[in-house]
Amino acid sequence: MHIPDGYLSPATCAVTGAAMVPVIGAACARVKRVVKDRHAPLLALGAAYSFLVMMFNIPIPDGTTAHAVGAVLIAVLLGPWAAVVCVSVALAIQALFFGDGGVLALGANALNMAFVMPFVGYGVYRLLTRNTSLTSRRRALAAGIGGYVGLNVAALCAAIEFGLQPTLFHSANGTPLYAPFHLAQTIPAMALAHLTIAGAAELILTAGVVAYLQRANLPLLRINHPGVVDTDQELAPARGRPALRWALIGIATMIVLSPLGLLAPGGAYGEDAPVDLNLHKYGLSAIPSGLQHYNGFWKHTLLPDYGFTSGEHASLAYVLSAVLGALVVGAAIFLLIGVVRAVARRRPDVQTG
Amino acid sequence: MTPAWLLESEAGAFPVGCGGRRRRGSALEKTLDGLAKVVRRAIASDETATRQGLLQSLDARAKLLGMVALLVAVGLVRHIPVLVGLYLLTLVLAVASRIGLWGFAKRVWLFVPIFAAVIVAPAMFSFVTPGEIVLPLGHWFGHEVGLTRQGLTSAGLVVCRVATSISLVVLLALTTPWPRLLSALRALFVPRLLVLVLGMAYRYIFVLLDSVSEMVTARKARTVAVKRNGDGARAVAGFSGGALFGKAHSLSEEIHQAMLARGFRGEMRVLERSRLRAADGIWLVACLVLAVLVVGGDRALGL
Repeated sequence: MHIPDGYLSPATCAVTGAAMVPVIGAACARVKRVVKDRHAPLLALGAAYSFLVMMFNIPIPDGTTAHAVGAVLIAVLLGPWAAVVCVSVALAIQALFFGDGGVLALGANALNMAFVMPFVGYGVYRLLTRNTSLTSRRRALAAGIGGYVGLNVAALCAAIEFGLQPTLFHSANGTPLYAPFHLAQTIPAMALAHLTIAGAAELILTAGVVAYLQRANLPLLRINHPGVVDTDQELAPARGRPALRWALIGIATMIVLSPLGLLAPGGAYGEDAPVDLNLHKYGLSAIPSGLQHYNGFWKHTLLPDYGFTSGEHASLAYVLSAVLGALVVGAAIFLLIGVVRAVARRRPDVQTG
Repeated sequence: MTPAWLLESEAGAFPVGCGGRRRRGSALEKTLDGLAKVVRRAIASDETATRQGLLQSLDARAKLLGMVALLVAVGLVRHIPVLVGLYLLTLVLAVASRIGLWGFAKRVWLFVPIFAAVIVAPAMFSFVTPGEIVLPLGHWFGHEVGLTRQGLTSAGLVVCRVATSISLVVLLALTTPWPRLLSALRALFVPRLLVLVLGMAYRYIFVLLDSVSEMVTARKARTVAVKRNGDGARAVAGFSGGALFGKAHSLSEEIHQAMLARGFRGEMRVLERSRLRAADGIWLVACLVLAVLVVGGDRALGL
């Protein structure tokens, strides 16, 4: 994932570099405040560690190699801001001294691997480890999943940076001036390598190290987990109903993602309006009379085809339909639950009385 | 002096040494080779940085800024011949800095540009980069397929640009001692903490490298038979990674105490303060002028 100089236009390098300047500044300030004057050796060793992790190359069948980054591991052990500093430093040493990753492209590389990766991975880790003890099995697994997700999101960012180049920078006769592949080619290529081998390496490393430290070196895990109890027995009884919370999180995610439907091309199979049917294909000369008759059976819709009757503001109407639909379904389910509860409450009375 | 009879090899009457077949864990072996290469390169650049040459005599700040200007120019150039010219310039600079051309070219070309060539090779074909077909390769569902002029130019541009950029960076790395480069970064407004961490991290990479190779050797020494079990390998990755992090952490504690004992109060001080000389100014101006001329000339050739 180390982008060498020459793949990205100087403009892309400038934009990504400018984006990293405030991040690095904030990271330095945060780390100084959190770990005081002992930050320097700890961060230096973290950076050296990340450098070494990136050196363990695994051959991929297509002739290239993949490696883990360790950014999420460092984020779990020392905090995400420390990971920003450690991985940036490791990338800088690789770029300046070993020609691995470009000097101009350092901003882009740092954005992908030292900012996006630790923060996304750490976010996933925090989400999955709520209400768990320090030695719980779920914590190691959550770290691994965080590493996997973080690495893949970072790879996606790199693929987008690559894939935008031929669209944005080409000469008059269509010659791509920098990386020549389009998004449709870079995203699958990067996803293939990172969803499989590199992602697995990151997962095994992150989960393995956290699991090892849970057994062998708990004080190291406590650095970034103040106030987390050691064992599951000490855990305060969980408040609320976790099942309901997870169900609500899932539903909220789906609602947030519903505008994706606007991007989907074409229609769903078997849902065409009769006038859109390719009659010739089915050997028909006219729309079957039954279909014609029953298709117009119900016309009292509020938002026909998820749009306004006038056909204007299609996107707005689609989102409105999603919100309205979710509310109606939610209300119907709560009503149903209410009825079921009321019935269940009356049932014992019937039996005893 | 070693006696001659000890140096002579002689066919043993019975097989001596390890009777079993030695298995090579290829990925691990490669990694160890890679680690050894890191050390070799670092030592090599320490040695070349002390030679009496053109780039070695310049101030690190001027060199760094000049190189960045040239890197930007390389990034903006859109014609292969101009890039080849810039590449030849890096060779001239290497000779002027008493760096062996063969080793220099090997270090530049061996990995990244060849890798880049493999990656951009598919871009030469018409199904990735549409355009004027110069080498037809047949038909595919009624469309003509072949290498396109646009695709070939684009692939050539990327490979040349990558090679020239790497050459510039390698020149900088080979002719500048690491501490000088660090103080140059400090002078160029890189945060103090980052420079301090950079300097220490570079040093401790080698310490951790030693730890890793010792751990690998120790494990090999303990291994009697190879278990063909994926779980084992995964567990080893976790154990070694965790143990290494533990080592790194205790080392950082010791270093911190040693720094405190020597009077560290959170500030980094640099002993030598170098002044910019006239030669450094000339170099910097020359680099900037060259960058502007190259980009201007390149634009004059057409877009």
